Amino acid sequence: MKDLKELKKIEQYADQCMKCGFCSFFCPVYQEERTETSVARGKNYLVKEILKGNQEFTKELGDIIGLCLLCKRCVAMCPAKTQIDRVVVGARAQMVNEKGLGAIKNFAFRKVMSDRKAFGNYVKLAKKFQWLLPKTEGNIRHLPDFMKALGQGRNIPALADKFLREIVKPVYKPQNGEKPKMRVGYFMGCATDFMYPELGLKFIDFLTKRGIEVVVPEDQSCCGAAMYFSGDFETGRQQAEKNIAAFKDVDYIVTACGTCSSTLKDYQKYLPDTEDQKKRFEEFEKKVKDSMEFIIDIMKVKPEELTVKKEFEGKTVTWHDPCHLVRYQNIKDQPRALLKGLKGLKYVEMPNADLCCGMGGSFSVYHYDITKKIVGKKMDGIKATGADIVVTACPGCMVNLTDGVLQNKMPQKVYHLLELVE
Amino acid sequence: MLKESIVAELQKIVGKENVLTSPEALKAYSYDGTSSWVHEPDVVVFPTSTQQISDIMKLANGEKIPVTPRGGGTNVSGGSIPIMGGIVLCTTKMNRILKVDKENLTATVEPGVVLQDLTIRLMKEGLFFPPDPQSFLGATLGGAIAENAGGPACVKYGVTKQYVLGIEVVLPNGDIVNLGGRTLKNVVGYDLLHIFISSEGTLGVIAKAELKLNPIPPAKRTIMVVYDDVAKAGESVFRVLENGVIPGKIELMDNWVINRIEEMMPMGLPKDADALLLFEVDGIQEAIEKETEKIVDIVKKYGAVDARVAKDQAEADKYWMGRKAGFAAVFGKAKTVFAEDVTVPRGSIPALINKCKELSKKYNVEVVVLGHAGDGNLHPAILTDISNAEHYDRAVKAMDEIIENAVELGGVLSGEHGIGLEKQRFLKRQLAPTVIEMMKKIKALFDPNNIMNPGKIWE
Repeated sequence: MKDLKELKKIEQYADQCMKCGFCSFFCPVYQEERTETSVARGKNYLVKEILKGNQEFTKELGDIIGLCLLCKRCVAMCPAKTQIDRVVVGARAQMVNEKGLGAIKNFAFRKVMSDRKAFGNYVKLAKKFQWLLPKTEGNIRHLPDFMKALGQGRNIPALADKFLREIVKPVYKPQNGEKPKMRVGYFMGCATDFMYPELGLKFIDFLTKRGIEVVVPEDQSCCGAAMYFSGDFETGRQQAEKNIAAFKDVDYIVTACGTCSSTLKDYQKYLPDTEDQKKRFEEFEKKVKDSMEFIIDIMKVKPEELTVKKEFEGKTVTWHDPCHLVRYQNIKDQPRALLKGLKGLKYVEMPNADLCCGMGGSFSVYHYDITKKIVGKKMDGIKATGADIVVTACPGCMVNLTDGVLQNKMPQKVYHLLELVE
Repeated sequence: MLKESIVAELQKIVGKENVLTSPEALKAYSYDGTSSWVHEPDVVVFPTSTQQISDIMKLANGEKIPVTPRGGGTNVSGGSIPIMGGIVLCTTKMNRILKVDKENLTATVEPGVVLQDLTIRLMKEGLFFPPDPQSFLGATLGGAIAENAGGPACVKYGVTKQYVLGIEVVLPNGDIVNLGGRTLKNVVGYDLLHIFISSEGTLGVIAKAELKLNPIPPAKRTIMVVYDDVAKAGESVFRVLENGVIPGKIELMDNWVINRIEEMMPMGLPKDADALLLFEVDGIQEAIEKETEKIVDIVKKYGAVDARVAKDQAEADKYWMGRKAGFAAVFGKAKTVFAEDVTVPRGSIPALINKCKELSKKYNVEVVVLGHAGDGNLHPAILTDISNAEHYDRAVKAMDEIIENAVELGGVLSGEHGIGLEKQRFLKRQLAPTVIEMMKKIKALFDPNNIMNPGKIWE
């Protein structure tokens, strides 16, 4: 009998499913594909078949468990509370154990993204060549069709002239010169580092203006989401250990990226290999806070006391719930409290605020056709609000929503919530 | 295994992307919402038009290949499992709502429309389609019609058959026929429409349907009634109705279910109550206020410990969410669950409940009771584990006796789930041999080669 170590860990979750099929209604992928293999129930059934020894990790099986955004909409609505995210991620990990990662991911995860310097250098190299890509609007680069690996004809934000890591200082003292109220470690995340450095500076400024000392450890690495959600637990654990080591002696670890905050928190959920590791991951989780919850729950900032930047005064805004905030961390009230409380903005709720934008990390690279359809539905919701601005708090969503707006020739602009305030 | 040439023919009919043959995909179409039955098809096809369904049927009929029609695969009697292999004809890609006719209160739909998608669309027009099986998030209209699905709303509104005016059907030989029509009254010849409703996919494929709709009632109210004896709750049901109030829904939960719901989502249900009834009245504001008062009076007169009128919609929603979670509560607590579907005349509900309690003791298995008390359709659920032979055996015996008892009380062995595979061994206890023979002859008339969902209903 094969060693199904990673699958055994999630067997109890797979057993929860009672095959009612309700997940189909909530699954953004099923709504486009309408096949049983695209939905949680089908994937869960096949994983159980592997556990019973009736199914191998074939290429087709890999494609099926790959066809999931991990948006957790089905998990949120499942009457049997099946944690399908754990089942899918566990199955991917088992598959990587048995079949390896595949050349592209192996190179990307293990040689590039896991090594902060190498990652920076590779992206820098890409930056040198980005002038080859036609510009569509502002800083958006339009990827030509031949770059299939990055999606057919999609728009991505241009890489920044200077990455955040190149301009950030290791320590920022409170701006009022007084003794800091607390000391937090800022985790930047790849998208902020390479594409939205001004967002990182904005967050640091926001914190230091309010009496908080911010440290930005140089040794921080990629959060590991791309790796461990793809089943590369080995690299995922390395990233976890690197980040835990980098963020010592701080009261909190904060980030303005919804995916990063949930990934850092969830090391304890998906990755632990030993009891000791589990304990350390759990300790780490307690200190991690997403910017949205940190501002409202820890700093106790009163939204009405914040000032809206001049350029946004009088604008109508709507909020997009990143999956990694609303379902991975149950953060949904805090950003709404901020947006509703801010003077000078009009807030309108969109009808499908919690619908995944369709990004799903590498999902959108391999299934851009499906991503486009899902983001199209998101755009219908945005159109219905009549908003000028789409606000969210995850750079991953920002990339995909920006693409959606441009593809659908809509006038809206996409911002991180922190960018709206002084 | 099918000949490769047949797969190629199917691909020609529906397009390559609409034919699945990988072993993984076939596994994913080997089950439905039941837990005891699994069988893989040889191929899965997704037609997108009536003509394509017709072409598939002609091919299958010529080659005598079994065809199992399937929608969302939420069936709870095994009806959508391809028990003889062959073709699974999956309608999920025919999911257009073709027309909503406000003037005539009708809707025209394709068979793969999911009930909840229809509900959302109709809400915009202030209309609704009353049949509300608990699988509404995944179940399709084709399936609801083929199974004659019901749900809580049936007390006042009836089941699916009362809301289908006409259907377009593809017969096993590929002929396309229209049965029924678009009118409320229709007595032109034999009522073949209603032979198709609840035929469980054994006579043909429903390709389109004309549905009857209702306007959404302007107001509704929920009353939660607490009992110290589940049999008294059963009595309250018919006392309320005989006193002239027809609530929209009357749902029952026993003590076990109440406690599991409280564990899952604490909402302040009385944990020591032996049973709860949830009433919902709907209609014009003034009328429902009077009806609410009357229900509270009647249930108190017949032994209720407490009757709480939900103060607002939020409180009402909470109770109904609890009721919906009821079945998850049951399924989450056992490896195998027999979700019984027996239905008795309303006056016999207390007798049936008492029998369930007695059998639970006799066979030492958990028998929990929840269900649509308002129409006598209880769902006694027996909790067991198919891998524990000794326990499973006792559970089967308890189930047999429950069904026997329901039939003795003048009831039926299935109210809304259908016979499918799960209940076919009981069919003879309910129906006379002549009646079963008549059914088989009707089947042979439509489907002489026995290719339409073979192996279902009778053994």
